[in-house]
Amino acid sequence: MSEEKKNNKFDETKYSMDTRIIYGKNISTKWDYSHHVTAPISSSTTFRLDSVERGAHGFERFANTKVFGEETPIFIYDRLGEPNKDLLEENLAYVENGEMAVTFATGMGAISAALGICVGAGDEIIAHHTLYGCTISLLNNWYPRYNINVKYIDLTNADNLIGALTDKTKVVYFESPANPNLDIIDIKKIVKIISDFNSSRDEEHQVLSILDNTFSTPFCQRPIEFGVDFVVHSLTKGIGGFGTDMGGAVIGKRKYKDILLLYRKDFGAVLSPKSAWAILTYGLPTLSLRTRNQIQSAKKIANYLNVHPAIEFVNYPGLSNYKYYEVAKKQMVDFNGEFSPGTLIYFVLKGKNPAASKENGSKFMDYIADKAYTMNLAVSLGHTRTLIEHPASMTHSVVPPEKLNERGIDAGGVRLAIGLENVDDIIKDLDEALKIIL
Amino acid sequence: MGFSTDAIHAGQTPDKATNAVIPPIYMTYTYAQEEFGGNQEYHYGRSQNMTRNILEQNIAVLEDGKYALAFSSGVAAIHSLTGILKSGDHVIVSDNVYGGTYRLFDKSLSQFGITFSWIDFDDLLSVEKAITLQTKILFIETPTNPLLNLIDINRVSELAHKHNLLCVVDNTFMTPFFQKPLNLGADVVIHSSTKYLNGHSDVIGGLVVMNDKVVFDKIKFVQNSIGAIPSPFDCWLVLRSIKTLAVRMKQHNKNALQIAKILSSNKNIKKIIYPGLETHPQHELAKEQMTGFGGIITIELNDFEKTKSFLNKLKIFTLAESLGGVESLVNHSATMTHASLSNEGRLKIGITDSLIRISVGIEDVEDLIQDLNQALK
Repeated sequence: MSEEKKNNKFDETKYSMDTRIIYGKNISTKWDYSHHVTAPISSSTTFRLDSVERGAHGFERFANTKVFGEETPIFIYDRLGEPNKDLLEENLAYVENGEMAVTFATGMGAISAALGICVGAGDEIIAHHTLYGCTISLLNNWYPRYNINVKYIDLTNADNLIGALTDKTKVVYFESPANPNLDIIDIKKIVKIISDFNSSRDEEHQVLSILDNTFSTPFCQRPIEFGVDFVVHSLTKGIGGFGTDMGGAVIGKRKYKDILLLYRKDFGAVLSPKSAWAILTYGLPTLSLRTRNQIQSAKKIANYLNVHPAIEFVNYPGLSNYKYYEVAKKQMVDFNGEFSPGTLIYFVLKGKNPAASKENGSKFMDYIADKAYTMNLAVSLGHTRTLIEHPASMTHSVVPPEKLNERGIDAGGVRLAIGLENVDDIIKDLDEALKIIL
Repeated sequence: MGFSTDAIHAGQTPDKATNAVIPPIYMTYTYAQEEFGGNQEYHYGRSQNMTRNILEQNIAVLEDGKYALAFSSGVAAIHSLTGILKSGDHVIVSDNVYGGTYRLFDKSLSQFGITFSWIDFDDLLSVEKAITLQTKILFIETPTNPLLNLIDINRVSELAHKHNLLCVVDNTFMTPFFQKPLNLGADVVIHSSTKYLNGHSDVIGGLVVMNDKVVFDKIKFVQNSIGAIPSPFDCWLVLRSIKTLAVRMKQHNKNALQIAKILSSNKNIKKIIYPGLETHPQHELAKEQMTGFGGIITIELNDFEKTKSFLNKLKIFTLAESLGGVESLVNHSATMTHASLSNEGRLKIGITDSLIRISVGIEDVEDLIQDLNQALK
């Protein structure tokens, strides 16, 4: 091995990201597992401290990168940090083009941490009105207790943000594509508006942007490159990729790493090292391969659904007649600059009225649950298996029926998360199920 | 060091790279070579794996042996003895061993020209008579499965060494917590780590322990060339289980002794076998070579109909193969563990259709007694 590699001075940037996603930074300062080609699964909750002095030094160094930089860590206790999580964090930051990542037990663990370090009593969050159901639940059911106000607006028109920002605003929070209807928000425009607003405000009162990039994964979109402050992920989805492990991550600027580590230590939503290992070993290295394949299938399926007589409309960022197609094309690109419109499709079945459309949706999904081979009626996404679900009664059941409309969710909306099956087999199953609606 | 101290610490110094107190699960099966022609210890997972080596070092210390090797099952561990056998060799086996051992020897290894004699080791004279110039190994289980006969390891080892043979002892039933065959003169100890060593009925594994470097090298050669190695994850689970072996064995022993005493006076039981009972013909030998009596009790009921009804009425005891788990199991030897023997073969050694092997778990003993009593009614 060359001295450059050993000393971590090796320049890997000349290689494509498809390659780099497998190797990360190649040599980690977090764990020199010497000659192991695949990382070991760290399995210890506690770490031997050679002396009281070293123990004290370890605690002093913890979450104190301002003073101690990114030195090789002194591991103390799993909740503070341990080898597998640290290795995964390095590689996640790397693929998202962030300066650092901190992992959490779940996506919600990551979302609550990113928001938790930014807001306090009396502050205000501005959020796009369409969000994952559990994020809505966090914002609506818990934050009012801490006197944190949440203002929902439609960010698909970025200009709406201009009038909404106030002295109390601390965070602008959104997903793009949004869950479940795949609203696309112009990230650059949002960042620009926030940055203009921040220019007249001091360091203490800057508005920060948080984007949940779970639907895109870094393969399709790297929001930090557009100036977003934090990307949050449910690693359970496309990044984990196999449906075996829960996980979450916050990725962003180095200066937030310490406070995120403190937050994780004190609130305790810590990622299992065994899950970290699975995501590090199976998830990330196959992200490009899986996502590229799933996008190819999603495009074909979206085109099929788009002209199907039983379907009212299809939202898929890759359809040229989709209202956000142009924005999506600009910001959803893979590591090589190819348009990558994602692996999720949202559509609504025809019906005389919303109730009839919902009824048709239920019939359609129940038929699939009963008869299809290639699809599972199940929540989650980014799986090897194609998953289909009914947001209004599942992922977004927190939204009462009368409020679905203002959240951009259709009573009969169907969310389809494409897996790795042969695409023609998926279409065969969809086709059979749609026949019962006609 | 005391047994529990070794169980928890032997082979398990904190990971050098990270100081992790519990060893990692070393998953890689290939290792980057520092340089061409270098002298690196680790090359490929079948030959060497760090988690597996930790388990091997641990069991070697617990058995008071120098070397140990881990396998993917107890039967694979026994099969590794082929490293010291060749076509034409002869092995003398105690006549009621585990059915899987019988099948391996009688149906598989015999195909390769290795011959076996099945002798009752109560009678060492007939064992000695069976020794030929081709004999290489005396293979015993003690206590035997399922009849719980004891074999005097000391005397069998002496006999083996007198004729330049190896004495191999399957120590699965007792574990090193209750019996250390190498200290009694044996040359090789075999384990199905699936049983008490892992103890939670979720890993299949085997271990071989020995003192002689030549024997070790030969068995290691089989481990690498046949490739029946346990996964790093399974090794890690067994290591984790061994940490509680002492507390589990004490409880298995305590529960079994209490149950055996109570069942002794139950008129629905024709015969009860447990080395801890004074009525066991080899109770004195048990006290000599074992420090406990283990968790296995064998009973014989009056007839097959009553046996079926007993097995079906049990609620806590599960009818299942295997033994040594924290949960209590019952096994119908004739149709389950020893089904590979012929009818006559079974009856000759005393495995009747009414024989039941009970693996007493570590549940509350009052519940176990109540369950047995209601099923015996």
